[in-house]
Amino acid sequence: MTVGPHPPMAIYEVFQQAREGDPMTHVGSLNAPDDELALQYARDVFSRRYEALRLWVVPRASVQTIDDLDLLRPPFDRSYRRPDGYNVVPKLRAIKARVAGTQQEAEVAG
Amino acid sequence: MTTGTTTTDVNLSTQHAARSTLLLTLADDELVIGYWDTEWTGIAPVLEEDVAMSSIAQDEIGHALAYYELLSSQTGIAPDVYAYGRQPDEYRFARLLGRARGDWAITMARRYLYETADAVRLASLERSSHRLLADLVAKMRREEQYHLMHVQTWFERFLARPGEARDRFSAALTDLWPDTLDVFAPLDGEDDLLSEGILPDPMAELRARWQAMLQPSLDRAGVAVSGKAPTECRRGGQHPDFAWLHNEMTMVYRSQPGAEW
Amino acid sequence: MTTLAGRVVKTVEAADEQRRREEFFAHVEGGGKVEATDWIPDEYRIAVLRFVEMHANSELMGVLPERDWIMRAPSLKRKLALTSKIQDEVGHAQILYRVAEDLGKSREEMLADLIAGKTKFHNVFHYPTKSWADVGIIAWLVDAAAIVAQQALRESSYAPYARAMKRICAEESVHIIHGRDVVLAMISGTAEQQAMVQEALDRWWGPLMQMHGPPSNPEKDKDLRWKIKSKHNEQLRQEFLNTYVPRLWEIGLTVPDPALRHDEDTDRWLYTEPDWNELRSVVTGNGPASQSRLDFRRLSFEDTAWVRDAVLGNGRVAA
Repeated sequence: MTVGPHPPMAIYEVFQQAREGDPMTHVGSLNAPDDELALQYARDVFSRRYEALRLWVVPRASVQTIDDLDLLRPPFDRSYRRPDGYNVVPKLRAIKARVAGTQQEAEVAG
Repeated sequence: MTTGTTTTDVNLSTQHAARSTLLLTLADDELVIGYWDTEWTGIAPVLEEDVAMSSIAQDEIGHALAYYELLSSQTGIAPDVYAYGRQPDEYRFARLLGRARGDWAITMARRYLYETADAVRLASLERSSHRLLADLVAKMRREEQYHLMHVQTWFERFLARPGEARDRFSAALTDLWPDTLDVFAPLDGEDDLLSEGILPDPMAELRARWQAMLQPSLDRAGVAVSGKAPTECRRGGQHPDFAWLHNEMTMVYRSQPGAEW
Repeated sequence: MTTLAGRVVKTVEAADEQRRREEFFAHVEGGGKVEATDWIPDEYRIAVLRFVEMHANSELMGVLPERDWIMRAPSLKRKLALTSKIQDEVGHAQILYRVAEDLGKSREEMLADLIAGKTKFHNVFHYPTKSWADVGIIAWLVDAAAIVAQQALRESSYAPYARAMKRICAEESVHIIHGRDVVLAMISGTAEQQAMVQEALDRWWGPLMQMHGPPSNPEKDKDLRWKIKSKHNEQLRQEFLNTYVPRLWEIGLTVPDPALRHDEDTDRWLYTEPDWNELRSVVTGNGPASQSRLDFRRLSFEDTAWVRDAVLGNGRVAA
């Protein structure tokens, strides 16, 4: 048999929302000749066990990617953007101790 | 409830109450088309279509089971006995559904004709005075939406451009058209069903409604609308292809009468 | 897909190439994961593709032994269950061919190679089915043997394959329950039904024991070293025996291997050495049903070629 020269189908990426309020999650991809069939196929290929409340079906050609770690995890320190970039505990401890000491003195004097 | 009884134990003459005939008609239609459609599982044109088509076929078997269960609640005869325990000529499906699935064009053409016809039928039955049937039909119509989308999608794709696909599909529609009219063949006891409101509209009227709905699409497909309206109830499992199917369907069931599987 | 990285010109010289290869293999051997769009050396890509392609082929060919029984199921519930099981196998083929396709081989080419006998599929799908009992035995034990292998593959270094395995394992677990239910119903039934099950087990035991393959040398197994798979053949077979032999014995079935026993001292199952010649012969296309199944696949593929041409003939370009 010959492998036909017809044009290959397009690839679609499928996302689902599994429970109310959940974000859309990638579940896989499928081949389809066009958007309409891709949408119909997505239901049975990815949600025939009622896994999804909602499906997004997106042509792979529409998906842009960044995967360069130099851009996503650049080398310089950016901890100021995260909670662990701040160290309040020692300062707080010192202040509390001082405030408690001042209050004690006031009580003794008063 | 009796299980595993053979046809000698199922006295169908006592089931010729009109209600039973209606339910058997609906059940047998879904059973037989479901069987032919499940045959595509594993061998459909593309993998994604294979998965989609199998779901549709499973829906149909599920609908048949639901109708048999409704009938069973009235007669005490188990659904599997209805499905597997009758002789071929005791089935009540439309002749359109008796032939084998054929190639993809024949399968899709038949599905197009049957699903559109069934949609008209179900729209009417949703108003049935038989509450349980009306509720069941309402549920089915929700699933059937997908079936209609699917046949419509394929209808358009086959006709999209001249060529082998369009020719095969048009030829299949033309060939199958006369038998489709039998989906709307008047039922035995239809007058009783109409007066009780179990059947809200006569079959003849449903046929006319369906034909009018399909006319523009068929004109576009180049299908000559011909074939006389059926005046007698031409339903039943006489097609030779069904003899083969019946043998396949029942061989394991018959091998151990009364057994649980 | 367009990648921002692709737009930045990065000149890779020969020394860099060698370094990249070393980093890559250190990465996978150390448990790191690989995605379809990563830089992948040819040896790894070819190894994964071969592995996944055979798996995809097996799912597709695995449909055929059971398909006939969709039409012969003895009850509506069994018909629904079996149809959905086989639908799942087609779905698994879809997932796996998709994964393989992203490694650079088109689905059409893979199907053509399968039909031409150039690529392989698992031994168990080269055997005929004889009765409804086969349906139960296959769904229960063949799927169980497969799931033992597939659970291990959820850790694969090739991440798209690992993700596919997680999905597939979840679905296969339903098949095993369904298969066991079919077997138990028959064991609870007539004497003929019970005999049918034993007869089916007698026929399927040999292929089942061969299914995970002969014990291989872990040192020489690249698929193991690169963590494409994480367990070796004998490990998988022992896992299978450990779970399923007791389950067969407890319902009164006899396993047709008089040497089969669990050795307490070594905590290993001992058994008659499977016929590895049979395995080799079968997977190269000489099984009892190999040719008829491939012919069937070829015919149904050819019969539907006009549909693919018609539906795809709209001139759209692949993504």
